[in-house]
Amino acid sequence: MAVITISRQVGSLGDELASYLSSKLNCAIIDRAHIMEILSASCPPDEINKLNDSAKAFNNIIPDKEITYKELMISKIDSIIEEANTNNSDVIIVGLGGVVFAKNYKDVLNIRISASEATRQKRLMKKFQIDSGEAENLISIGDKKHKRFVSLLWNRDLSDSSLYDLSLNTDNLSIEECAEGILSLLEKKKMRSLITKEVEETTDVINHQTVTPVFKNESEAEFARILDLYHIEWMYEPKTFPIEWDLEGNIISAFSPDFYLPKFNLYLELTTMEQKYVNKKKKKAQKCMELYPGTNVRIVYKRDFEELVERLSKFN
Amino acid sequence: MDIKRIVYSKEDISNRVKELGAKITNDYKDKDLVVIGVMKGALYFMSDLTKEIDLPIKVDVIGFGNIPDTTSKTGVVRITKDIDIDIKDKHVLIIEDVIRTGLTTAYLSSHLEKYEPASINLCTMLLNPNRLLMTIPVKYSGFEIDDSWLIGYGLDKEEIGRNLPYIAEIKRK
Repeated sequence: MAVITISRQVGSLGDELASYLSSKLNCAIIDRAHIMEILSASCPPDEINKLNDSAKAFNNIIPDKEITYKELMISKIDSIIEEANTNNSDVIIVGLGGVVFAKNYKDVLNIRISASEATRQKRLMKKFQIDSGEAENLISIGDKKHKRFVSLLWNRDLSDSSLYDLSLNTDNLSIEECAEGILSLLEKKKMRSLITKEVEETTDVINHQTVTPVFKNESEAEFARILDLYHIEWMYEPKTFPIEWDLEGNIISAFSPDFYLPKFNLYLELTTMEQKYVNKKKKKAQKCMELYPGTNVRIVYKRDFEELVERLSKFN
Repeated sequence: MDIKRIVYSKEDISNRVKELGAKITNDYKDKDLVVIGVMKGALYFMSDLTKEIDLPIKVDVIGFGNIPDTTSKTGVVRITKDIDIDIKDKHVLIIEDVIRTGLTTAYLSSHLEKYEPASINLCTMLLNPNRLLMTIPVKYSGFEIDDSWLIGYGLDKEEIGRNLPYIAEIKRK
Protein backbone atom coordinates (compact mmCIF):
# COMPACT_ATOMS: atom_id res chain seq x y z
CA MET A 1 0.00 0.00 0.00
CA ALA A 2 1.29 3.49 -0.84
CA VAL A 3 0.10 7.06 -0.59
CA ILE A 4 0.71 9.36 -3.56
CA THR A 5 0.37 13.06 -2.91
CA ILE A 6 -0.07 15.34 -5.88
CA SER A 7 0.54 19.02 -5.49
CA ARG A 8 -0.35 20.81 -8.67
CA GLN A 9 -0.54 24.25 -10.22
CA VAL A 10 -3.78 25.39 -11.82
CA GLY A 11 -3.79 24.22 -15.43
CA SER A 12 -0.86 21.86 -14.98
CA LEU A 13 -2.98 18.73 -15.64
CA GLY A 14 -2.46 17.58 -12.04
CA ASP A 15 -6.13 16.70 -11.52
CA GLU A 16 -6.32 14.85 -14.83
CA LEU A 17 -3.16 12.95 -13.96
CA ALA A 18 -4.62 12.00 -10.56
CA SER A 19 -7.75 10.60 -12.27
CA TYR A 20 -5.63 8.65 -14.72
CA LEU A 21 -3.47 7.20 -11.93
CA SER A 22 -6.57 6.36 -9.92
CA SER A 23 -7.97 4.32 -12.79
CA LYS A 24 -4.62 2.59 -13.36
CA LEU A 25 -4.16 1.75 -9.69
CA ASN A 26 -7.85 1.22 -9.03
CA CYS A 27 -7.60 3.35 -5.93
CA ALA A 28 -9.39 6.24 -4.20
CA ILE A 29 -8.66 9.93 -4.68
CA ILE A 30 -8.90 12.29 -1.74
CA ASP A 31 -9.26 15.86 -2.95
CA ARG A 32 -10.95 19.03 -1.79
CA ALA A 33 -14.35 18.07 -3.23
CA HIS A 34 -14.22 14.71 -1.47
CA ILE A 35 -13.25 16.31 1.85
CA MET A 36 -15.95 18.98 1.63
CA GLU A 37 -18.51 16.27 0.98
CA ILE A 38 -17.38 14.39 4.08
CA LEU A 39 -17.31 17.54 6.20
CA SER A 40 -20.80 18.52 4.98
CA ALA A 41 -22.17 15.45 6.71
CA SER A 42 -21.10 16.67 10.12
CA CYS A 43 -21.04 20.48 9.77
CA PRO A 44 -23.77 23.09 9.23
CA PRO A 45 -24.05 24.54 5.65
CA ASP A 46 -22.98 28.07 6.65
CA GLU A 47 -19.80 26.64 8.18
CA ILE A 48 -19.11 24.75 4.96
CA ASN A 49 -19.51 28.02 3.06
CA LYS A 50 -16.93 29.60 5.34
CA LEU A 51 -14.54 26.75 4.61
CA ASN A 52 -15.09 27.26 0.88
CA ASP A 53 -14.38 30.97 1.21
CA SER A 54 -11.40 31.00 3.50
CA ALA A 55 -8.58 28.62 4.39
CA LYS A 56 -8.45 30.32 7.79
CA ALA A 57 -11.82 28.78 8.67
CA PHE A 58 -10.20 25.33 8.76
CA ASN A 59 -8.53 26.35 12.00
CA ASN A 60 -11.89 27.21 13.62
CA ILE A 61 -13.30 24.91 16.27
CA ILE A 62 -16.39 23.02 15.09
CA PRO A 63 -19.49 24.13 17.06
CA ASP A 64 -20.32 21.69 19.87
CA LYS A 65 -17.10 19.76 19.23
CA GLU A 66 -13.63 20.14 20.64
CA ILE A 67 -11.70 19.85 17.41
CA THR A 68 -11.01 22.12 14.47
CA TYR A 69 -12.11 21.48 10.89
CA LYS A 70 -8.49 20.82 10.05
CA GLU A 71 -8.28 18.12 12.74
CA LEU A 72 -11.55 16.60 11.56
CA MET A 73 -10.26 16.58 7.99
CA ILE A 74 -7.08 14.79 9.06
CA SER A 75 -8.95 12.22 11.11
CA LYS A 76 -11.21 11.46 8.12
CA ILE A 77 -8.20 11.11 5.83
CA ASP A 78 -6.52 8.87 8.42
CA SER A 79 -9.58 6.61 8.39
CA ILE A 80 -9.58 6.40 4.60
CA ILE A 81 -5.90 5.52 4.57
CA GLU A 82 -6.30 2.98 7.35
CA GLU A 83 -9.07 1.30 5.37
CA ALA A 84 -6.97 1.35 2.21
CA ASN A 85 -4.11 -0.19 4.15
CA THR A 86 -6.39 -2.99 5.33
CA ASN A 87 -7.47 -3.62 1.74
CA ASN A 88 -3.89 -3.25 0.53
CA SER A 89 -4.89 -0.56 -1.93
CA ASP A 90 -3.20 2.77 -2.68
CA VAL A 91 -4.53 6.26 -2.04
CA ILE A 92 -3.99 9.46 -4.00
CA ILE A 93 -4.22 12.77 -2.17
CA VAL A 94 -4.64 15.75 -4.48
CA GLY A 95 -3.86 19.16 -3.01
CA LEU A 96 -4.95 19.86 0.60
CA GLY A 97 -1.30 20.16 1.58
CA GLY A 98 -1.11 16.37 1.49
CA VAL A 99 2.59 16.62 0.80
CA VAL A 100 3.04 18.02 4.32
CA PHE A 101 0.74 15.90 6.45
CA ALA A 102 1.23 12.62 4.55
CA LYS A 103 4.78 12.33 5.83
CA ASN A 104 3.30 10.53 8.84
CA TYR A 105 2.12 7.70 6.60
CA LYS A 106 4.23 4.83 5.39
CA ASP A 107 5.44 4.59 1.79
CA VAL A 108 4.56 8.04 0.53
CA LEU A 109 5.45 9.40 -2.88
CA ASN A 110 5.23 13.18 -3.13
CA ILE A 111 4.71 14.54 -6.64
CA ARG A 112 4.69 18.14 -7.81
CA ILE A 113 3.03 18.89 -11.16
CA SER A 114 3.72 22.19 -12.80
CA ALA A 115 3.84 23.82 -16.23
CA SER A 116 4.85 27.14 -17.70
CA GLU A 117 2.38 29.98 -17.37
CA ALA A 118 1.90 30.15 -21.14
CA THR A 119 0.99 26.47 -21.35
CA ARG A 120 -1.34 26.70 -18.40
CA GLN A 121 -3.10 29.74 -19.94
CA LYS A 122 -3.63 27.93 -23.22
CA ARG A 123 -5.08 24.91 -21.45
CA LEU A 124 -7.49 26.98 -19.37
CA MET A 125 -8.59 29.03 -22.40
CA LYS A 126 -9.41 25.83 -24.25
CA LYS A 127 -11.05 24.10 -21.30
CA PHE A 128 -13.28 26.98 -20.19
CA GLN A 129 -13.61 28.85 -23.51
CA ILE A 130 -12.18 32.02 -21.98
CA ASP A 131 -9.74 34.66 -23.16
CA SER A 132 -6.11 34.94 -22.11
CA GLY A 133 -6.79 37.68 -19.57
CA GLU A 134 -9.41 35.57 -17.84
CA ALA A 135 -7.11 32.55 -17.91
CA GLU A 136 -4.29 34.62 -16.44
CA ASN A 137 -6.64 35.76 -13.70
CA LEU A 138 -7.74 32.19 -12.95
CA ILE A 139 -4.13 31.06 -12.66
CA SER A 140 -3.20 33.94 -10.40
CA ILE A 141 -6.17 33.39 -8.05
CA GLY A 142 -5.76 29.59 -8.05
CA ASP A 143 -2.03 29.65 -7.34
CA LYS A 144 -2.49 32.19 -4.54
CA LYS A 145 -5.28 30.14 -2.96
CA HIS A 146 -3.23 26.94 -3.04
CA LYS A 147 -0.26 28.69 -1.55
CA ARG A 148 -2.32 30.40 1.16
CA PHE A 149 -4.11 27.17 2.09
CA VAL A 150 -0.88 25.25 2.67
CA SER A 151 0.78 28.18 4.37
CA LEU A 152 -2.12 28.79 6.76
CA LEU A 153 -2.84 25.16 7.60
CA TRP A 154 0.62 23.66 7.50
CA ASN A 155 2.97 26.61 7.66
CA ARG A 156 4.88 25.41 4.61
CA ASP A 157 5.69 26.92 1.24
CA LEU A 158 4.35 24.84 -1.64
CA SER A 159 7.17 26.00 -3.89
CA ASP A 160 9.76 24.41 -1.59
CA SER A 161 11.24 21.74 -3.87
CA SER A 162 12.55 19.72 -0.90
CA LEU A 163 8.97 18.66 -0.17
CA TYR A 164 8.76 16.53 -3.31
CA ASP A 165 10.23 13.23 -4.44
CA LEU A 166 9.48 14.01 -8.06
CA SER A 167 8.62 17.23 -9.89
CA LEU A 168 7.18 17.04 -13.40
CA ASN A 169 6.77 19.83 -15.91
CA THR A 170 3.87 18.93 -18.20
CA ASP A 171 4.78 21.43 -20.92
CA ASN A 172 6.15 18.62 -23.05
CA LEU A 173 4.87 15.53 -21.25
CA SER A 174 1.50 13.88 -21.71
CA ILE A 175 -0.58 12.58 -18.81
CA GLU A 176 0.27 9.01 -19.85
CA GLU A 177 3.99 9.76 -19.92
CA CYS A 178 3.86 11.39 -16.48
CA ALA A 179 1.82 8.48 -15.11
CA GLU A 180 4.29 5.97 -16.52
CA GLY A 181 7.15 7.67 -14.65
CA ILE A 182 5.19 7.87 -11.42
CA LEU A 183 4.00 4.26 -11.57
CA SER A 184 7.51 3.01 -12.26
CA LEU A 185 8.84 4.98 -9.31
CA LEU A 186 5.99 3.75 -7.13
CA GLU A 187 6.77 0.14 -7.95
CA LYS A 188 10.44 0.61 -7.08
CA LYS A 189 9.53 2.36 -3.85
CA LYS A 190 7.19 -0.45 -2.82
CA MET A 191 9.88 -3.00 -3.62
CA ARG A 192 12.44 -1.11 -1.55
CA SER A 193 10.02 -0.87 1.33
CA LEU A 194 9.43 -4.61 1.18
CA ILE A 195 13.16 -5.33 1.19
CA THR A 196 13.76 -2.90 4.08
CA LYS A 197 10.99 -4.54 6.06
CA GLU A 198 12.51 -7.96 5.48
CA VAL A 199 15.95 -6.71 6.51
CA GLU A 200 14.54 -5.14 9.67
CA GLU A 201 12.71 -8.34 10.51
CA THR A 202 15.70 -10.54 9.97
CA THR A 203 18.69 -8.54 11.21
CA ASP A 204 17.23 -6.90 14.32
CA VAL A 205 19.36 -3.79 14.44
CA ILE A 206 17.70 -2.43 17.56
CA ASN A 207 17.68 -5.46 19.80
CA HIS A 208 21.37 -6.16 19.48
CA GLN A 209 21.24 -8.59 22.40
CA THR A 210 19.89 -11.31 20.14
CA VAL A 211 22.51 -10.85 17.44
CA THR A 212 26.16 -10.69 18.41
CA PRO A 213 27.92 -7.97 16.46
CA VAL A 214 31.39 -8.53 15.10
CA PHE A 215 33.72 -6.38 17.19
CA LYS A 216 36.96 -5.07 15.80
CA ASN A 217 38.95 -6.03 18.89
CA GLU A 218 38.73 -7.69 22.30
CA SER A 219 38.49 -4.33 24.12
CA GLU A 220 35.26 -3.50 22.33
CA ALA A 221 33.85 -6.92 23.16
CA GLU A 222 34.80 -6.50 26.83
CA PHE A 223 33.34 -3.01 26.93
CA ALA A 224 30.08 -4.38 25.48
CA ARG A 225 30.09 -6.96 28.26
CA ILE A 226 30.63 -4.20 30.84
CA LEU A 227 27.64 -2.31 29.47
CA ASP A 228 25.65 -5.52 29.52
CA LEU A 229 26.48 -6.25 33.11
CA TYR A 230 25.35 -2.75 34.03
CA HIS A 231 22.14 -3.41 32.08
CA ILE A 232 22.88 -0.44 29.86
CA GLU A 233 21.31 -0.90 26.43
CA TRP A 234 23.77 -0.32 23.60
CA MET A 235 24.11 -0.50 19.85
CA TYR A 236 27.38 -1.22 18.10
CA GLU A 237 28.44 1.25 15.40
CA PRO A 238 24.85 2.03 14.44
CA LYS A 239 25.65 5.19 12.52
CA THR A 240 28.33 6.74 10.34
CA PHE A 241 28.66 10.50 10.32
CA PRO A 242 30.29 12.06 7.24
CA ILE A 243 32.62 14.79 8.56
CA GLU A 244 34.67 15.90 5.58
CA TRP A 245 33.85 16.43 1.91
CA ASP A 246 35.91 17.31 -1.15
CA LEU A 247 35.11 20.19 -3.49
CA GLU A 248 32.67 18.05 -5.45
CA GLY A 249 30.78 17.09 -2.31
CA ASN A 250 32.14 13.55 -2.09
CA ILE A 251 32.66 12.24 1.44
CA ILE A 252 36.36 11.91 2.20
CA SER A 253 36.20 11.35 5.95
CA ALA A 254 33.58 9.81 8.22
CA PHE A 255 33.23 8.89 11.87
CA SER A 256 31.51 5.76 13.21
CA PRO A 257 31.45 5.86 17.02
CA ASP A 258 31.81 2.39 18.54
CA PHE A 259 28.76 2.39 20.79
CA TYR A 260 25.47 4.21 21.03
CA LEU A 261 23.54 4.23 24.31
CA PRO A 262 19.92 5.05 23.37
CA LYS A 263 18.82 5.76 26.93
CA PHE A 264 21.52 8.40 27.34
CA ASN A 265 21.43 9.58 23.72
CA LEU A 266 25.17 9.17 23.81
CA TYR A 267 27.85 7.83 21.48
CA LEU A 268 31.00 6.34 22.98
CA GLU A 269 34.28 5.93 21.15
CA LEU A 270 36.80 3.56 22.68
CA THR A 271 40.48 4.48 22.52
CA THR A 272 42.67 1.74 23.81
CA MET A 273 45.42 2.44 21.32
CA GLU A 274 48.41 4.77 20.98
CA GLN A 275 48.14 8.44 21.83
CA LYS A 276 48.49 9.61 18.20
CA TYR A 277 45.32 7.74 17.30
CA VAL A 278 43.60 9.09 20.39
CA ASN A 279 44.14 12.68 19.24
CA LYS A 280 42.82 11.80 15.80
CA LYS A 281 39.71 10.27 17.30
CA LYS A 282 39.20 13.24 19.61
CA LYS A 283 39.32 15.59 16.63
CA LYS A 284 36.84 13.47 14.72
CA ALA A 285 34.49 13.34 17.69
CA GLN A 286 34.72 17.10 18.13
CA LYS A 287 34.05 17.72 14.44
CA CYS A 288 31.10 15.32 14.52
CA MET A 289 29.51 17.20 17.43
CA GLU A 290 30.05 20.53 15.66
CA LEU A 291 28.53 19.32 12.39
CA TYR A 292 25.63 17.44 13.98
CA PRO A 293 24.22 19.56 16.82
CA GLY A 294 22.55 17.47 19.49
CA THR A 295 24.95 14.56 18.94
CA ASN A 296 26.89 13.71 22.09
CA VAL A 297 30.13 11.80 21.68
CA ARG A 298 32.43 10.89 24.55
CA ILE A 299 35.80 9.25 24.40
CA VAL A 300 36.48 6.26 26.62
CA TYR A 301 40.19 6.52 27.32
CA LYS A 302 42.43 3.52 27.81
CA ARG A 303 42.88 4.29 31.52
CA ASP A 304 39.09 4.54 32.05
CA PHE A 305 38.58 1.24 30.37
CA GLU A 306 41.39 -0.55 32.20
CA GLU A 307 40.37 0.83 35.58
CA LEU A 308 36.80 -0.17 34.95
CA VAL A 309 37.83 -3.71 34.13
CA GLU A 310 40.23 -3.85 37.09
CA ARG A 311 37.70 -2.41 39.54
CA LEU A 312 35.00 -4.77 38.43
CA SER A 313 37.23 -7.82 38.47
CA LYS A 314 38.31 -7.02 42.06
CA PHE A 315 34.88 -6.02 43.07
CA ASN A 316 33.73 -9.34 44.38
CA MET B 1 49.51 3.83 53.16
CA ASP B 2 51.58 6.40 51.24
CA ILE B 3 49.70 9.65 51.63
CA LYS B 4 51.07 12.39 49.37
CA ARG B 5 48.89 15.25 50.62
CA ILE B 6 45.57 16.07 52.16
CA VAL B 7 43.28 17.30 49.39
CA TYR B 8 40.23 18.18 51.51
CA SER B 9 40.52 18.59 55.27
CA LYS B 10 37.92 17.56 57.80
CA GLU B 11 36.88 21.20 58.02
CA ASP B 12 36.64 21.62 54.20
CA ILE B 13 34.40 18.58 54.06
CA SER B 14 32.24 19.68 56.98
CA ASN B 15 31.68 23.14 55.48
CA ARG B 16 30.81 21.75 52.07
CA VAL B 17 28.45 19.15 53.53
CA LYS B 18 26.63 21.92 55.43
CA GLU B 19 26.25 23.90 52.18
CA LEU B 20 24.92 20.89 50.32
CA GLY B 21 22.53 20.05 53.18
CA ALA B 22 21.11 23.57 53.16
CA LYS B 23 20.65 23.50 49.40
CA ILE B 24 18.93 20.12 49.47
CA THR B 25 16.70 21.29 52.33
CA ASN B 26 15.62 24.25 50.24
CA ASP B 27 15.16 22.28 47.00
CA TYR B 28 13.10 19.49 48.57
CA LYS B 29 10.93 21.36 51.04
CA ASP B 30 7.31 20.17 50.81
CA LYS B 31 8.44 17.03 48.97
CA ASP B 32 8.66 13.41 50.12
CA LEU B 33 12.40 12.83 49.98
CA VAL B 34 14.10 9.45 50.27
CA VAL B 35 17.88 9.53 50.52
CA ILE B 36 19.59 6.36 49.32
CA GLY B 37 23.28 5.84 50.02
CA VAL B 38 25.42 3.55 47.91
CA MET B 39 27.38 1.12 50.06
CA LYS B 40 30.02 1.22 51.25
CA GLY B 41 31.76 4.36 50.09
CA ALA B 42 28.88 6.78 50.60
CA LEU B 43 28.08 5.80 54.19
CA TYR B 44 30.25 8.48 55.85
CA PHE B 45 29.08 11.21 53.50
CA MET B 46 25.44 10.15 53.81
CA SER B 47 25.62 10.08 57.58
CA ASP B 48 26.94 13.67 57.75
CA LEU B 49 24.80 15.01 54.92
CA THR B 50 21.47 13.72 56.19
CA LYS B 51 22.13 15.41 59.54
CA GLU B 52 22.34 18.71 57.64
CA ILE B 53 19.06 18.18 55.78
CA ASP B 54 16.36 19.83 57.85
CA LEU B 55 13.45 17.81 56.46
CA PRO B 56 11.54 14.68 57.55
CA ILE B 57 13.42 12.44 55.14
CA LYS B 58 13.57 8.66 54.89
CA VAL B 59 16.96 6.97 54.60
CA ASP B 60 17.95 3.72 52.97
CA VAL B 61 21.04 2.08 51.50
CA ILE B 62 21.70 0.04 48.39
CA GLY B 63 24.61 -2.24 47.65
CA PHE B 64 25.83 -4.06 44.61
CA GLY B 65 28.52 -6.53 43.78
CA ASN B 66 29.53 -8.82 40.97
CA ILE B 67 29.69 -12.52 40.52
CA PRO B 68 32.33 -14.23 38.38
CA ASP B 69 31.46 -15.05 34.81
CA THR B 70 33.58 -17.21 32.56
CA THR B 71 32.78 -15.14 29.47
CA SER B 72 34.03 -11.87 30.93
CA LYS B 73 36.91 -10.56 33.00
CA THR B 74 34.47 -8.39 34.88
CA GLY B 75 31.80 -10.81 36.03
CA VAL B 76 28.15 -9.93 36.29
CA VAL B 77 26.88 -7.02 38.39
CA ARG B 78 23.97 -7.61 40.71
CA ILE B 79 22.25 -5.83 43.55
CA THR B 80 23.44 -7.34 46.83
CA LYS B 81 21.35 -5.16 49.12
CA ASP B 82 18.22 -3.61 47.68
CA ILE B 83 16.23 -0.80 49.26
CA ASP B 84 13.56 -1.64 51.82
CA ILE B 85 11.57 1.58 51.60
CA ASP B 86 8.76 2.02 49.06
CA ILE B 87 9.88 4.88 46.82
CA LYS B 88 6.90 4.92 44.44
CA ASP B 89 5.96 8.58 43.78
CA LYS B 90 8.69 9.73 46.19
CA HIS B 91 11.63 11.96 45.32
CA VAL B 92 14.86 9.99 45.45
CA LEU B 93 18.33 11.37 46.05
CA ILE B 94 21.11 8.85 45.47
CA ILE B 95 24.22 9.55 47.55
CA GLU B 96 27.60 8.54 46.17
CA ASP B 97 31.10 9.07 47.51
CA VAL B 98 32.62 9.53 44.07
CA ILE B 99 31.39 9.50 40.48
CA ARG B 100 33.98 8.90 37.80
CA THR B 101 32.66 7.21 34.66
CA GLY B 102 29.10 7.17 36.01
CA LEU B 103 28.45 3.59 34.89
CA THR B 104 27.69 2.34 38.39
CA THR B 105 25.44 5.27 39.10
CA ALA B 106 23.61 4.82 35.80
CA TYR B 107 23.04 1.18 36.68
CA LEU B 108 21.69 1.96 40.14
CA SER B 109 19.57 4.77 38.81
CA SER B 110 18.04 2.43 36.20
CA HIS B 111 17.41 -0.15 38.89
CA LEU B 112 15.59 2.36 41.10
CA GLU B 113 13.55 3.67 38.17
CA LYS B 114 11.72 0.35 38.19
CA TYR B 115 10.14 1.34 41.51
CA GLU B 116 8.51 4.37 39.82
CA PRO B 117 9.75 7.22 42.01
CA ALA B 118 8.59 10.77 41.25
CA SER B 119 12.18 11.80 40.50
CA ILE B 120 15.75 10.57 40.83
CA ASN B 121 18.69 12.89 41.36
CA LEU B 122 22.28 12.40 42.39
CA CYS B 123 24.46 13.87 45.06
CA THR B 124 28.12 12.95 45.13
CA MET B 125 30.91 14.11 47.40
CA LEU B 126 33.45 13.93 44.57
CA LEU B 127 32.93 14.22 40.82
CA ASN B 128 35.42 13.87 38.01
CA PRO B 129 33.59 15.67 35.19
CA ASN B 130 36.33 14.95 32.64
CA ARG B 131 35.82 11.22 32.90
CA LEU B 132 32.05 11.15 33.12
CA LEU B 133 30.79 8.89 30.35
CA MET B 134 27.11 8.75 31.16
CA THR B 135 24.69 11.64 30.97
CA ILE B 136 23.39 11.22 34.51
CA PRO B 137 21.49 13.75 36.63
CA VAL B 138 24.23 14.88 39.07
CA LYS B 139 22.37 17.64 40.90
CA TYR B 140 24.78 18.17 43.76
CA SER B 141 28.52 17.61 44.01
CA GLY B 142 30.88 18.44 46.83
CA PHE B 143 34.18 18.82 45.02
CA GLU B 144 35.41 18.30 41.47
CA ILE B 145 38.45 16.09 41.25
CA ASP B 146 41.06 15.06 38.67
CA ASP B 147 42.63 11.66 38.09
CA SER B 148 44.48 11.56 41.42
CA TRP B 149 44.19 8.45 43.55
CA LEU B 150 42.21 9.38 46.65
CA ILE B 151 41.29 7.77 49.94
CA GLY B 152 39.39 8.79 53.04
CA TYR B 153 35.86 9.83 53.93
CA GLY B 154 34.51 6.60 52.48
CA LEU B 155 37.05 6.10 49.71
CA ASP B 156 39.35 3.14 50.13
CA LYS B 157 42.34 1.37 48.78
CA GLU B 158 41.74 -2.34 49.17
CA GLU B 159 39.18 -1.58 51.90
CA ILE B 160 41.65 0.51 53.95
CA GLY B 161 41.28 4.26 54.51
CA ARG B 162 37.52 4.69 54.46
CA ASN B 163 37.44 5.95 58.05
CA LEU B 164 39.91 8.79 57.54
CA PRO B 165 38.13 12.08 58.38
CA TYR B 166 39.78 13.84 55.42
CA ILE B 167 40.31 13.09 51.73
CA ALA B 168 43.92 12.50 50.77
CA GLU B 169 45.88 11.77 47.62
CA ILE B 170 47.95 8.62 47.69
CA LYS B 171 50.86 7.52 45.55
CA ARG B 172 50.06 5.39 42.54
CA LYS B 173 51.25 1.80 42.45
